[in-house]
Amino acid sequence: MVEYLQPETIAEAANLIAKHGNDLAIMAGGTRAMQYLVPDTPYILGVQRLGLGRIEKADGNWSLGAAATLTQIRREVPIEAIGEAARQVGGPAIQNTATIGGNLFSHAPYGDVATLLLALDARLSLAGADGERSQSLADFYADGIDSGALVTSIGFAEPAGETVFLKCGRNRFNSATVVAIAVHATLNGGKVGAARIALGGAARHPMRCAEAEHALNGSALDAAAIEKAVAAAREACSPATDAVATEWYRRRMVGVYLHKALSQLAARG
Amino acid sequence: MTAKVVRFNVNGRDQAVMAAPIETLLSVLRDGLGLSSVKSGCAQGGCGSCSVLVDGELRLACLTPAENVEGSNIVTLEGLNESNSMATIQQSFIDNYAAQCGFCTPGMLVAVTALLESNPKPSRDEIMEALAGNICRCTSYLPIVDAVESAARELSGQGDD
Repeated sequence: MVEYLQPETIAEAANLIAKHGNDLAIMAGGTRAMQYLVPDTPYILGVQRLGLGRIEKADGNWSLGAAATLTQIRREVPIEAIGEAARQVGGPAIQNTATIGGNLFSHAPYGDVATLLLALDARLSLAGADGERSQSLADFYADGIDSGALVTSIGFAEPAGETVFLKCGRNRFNSATVVAIAVHATLNGGKVGAARIALGGAARHPMRCAEAEHALNGSALDAAAIEKAVAAAREACSPATDAVATEWYRRRMVGVYLHKALSQLAARG
Repeated sequence: MTAKVVRFNVNGRDQAVMAAPIETLLSVLRDGLGLSSVKSGCAQGGCGSCSVLVDGELRLACLTPAENVEGSNIVTLEGLNESNSMATIQQSFIDNYAAQCGFCTPGMLVAVTALLESNPKPSRDEIMEALAGNICRCTSYLPIVDAVESAARELSGQGDD
């Protein structure tokens, strides 16, 4: 029978995670964990009592507690693109329950908010049995998710440039992800800088697309540069075929939606 | 670890129930307290048939461990039935042919209640977004949106048309 552990402190949680290893799963909102993890896992660690639900901004830096809900994000973070990413996850009841920390672990065809956070160059605070550390979200995925640590918060600097989030789904709302595109860039004197392009639904986890970023940085955001970035992204992604869409379709939609996102950015510049 | 006592308020009444570890609020409300408006549709957060209000917020009882709502105020459709606004919403569902088999209707009505609490005059787009988590397999969605639109008009004192 499953045991539900609800520690009161981060240190206690970290020790339980170290002690039970693969026999333990961490559950925040439970929108995925209740169906996928609970039936087969001897120990479920709930994060409700850890006080990880706060959203704060200090000196231009945002800190989102890992257990902050998507509804909280929509209400408390006045950055249009992150609100839109949160709005695209499930319906209202799911948004009232699902957490930002949980979204990081929701592999394709989910993880829209994580895709946006990747374009914001977010960093994670992680707590393990050996203490706290910080890791970029990009490395978190690239290095392989550390299952021995608890994500406590997600931080990012107030975006310096423009940010766009677009999602291709089967329905307008409450759809799994065909693809999601998040783009951040500055446009100074017509030239692109700090381009960060993140693709969701394009691999098992959200991915940064350095090839497409290189195609844009330092160049004007014109039709030629956009085409170059689109071609690079289509080449670099490795989407899966599942019940939501085929690999073939997803790769095409990466191109179509990145084109749309960059055209929107160009119109703002 | 065995079952433990969880206390909360359901539809205005304090309750103490026995809940096994990770037992869902759905199971406790439906099987334990006999509140059969709370339906088990997909039991994985995809259909909205188990929608309830927890401290005024729309939640899915099938994804909520009972222990997580210790001390909360929970409202199911049974707890909304006595209010005048629910009578208006229900009549509007009838008038607009918004129910066929009726399985999804209790969850829809709870979701509509949550919507109208925060937004008494929603647009059609806002209604569709607010009901995006509630699946109906019979009627098509337009009669449901029509019903909510007309109920909202009536409740906000704008008459019917």
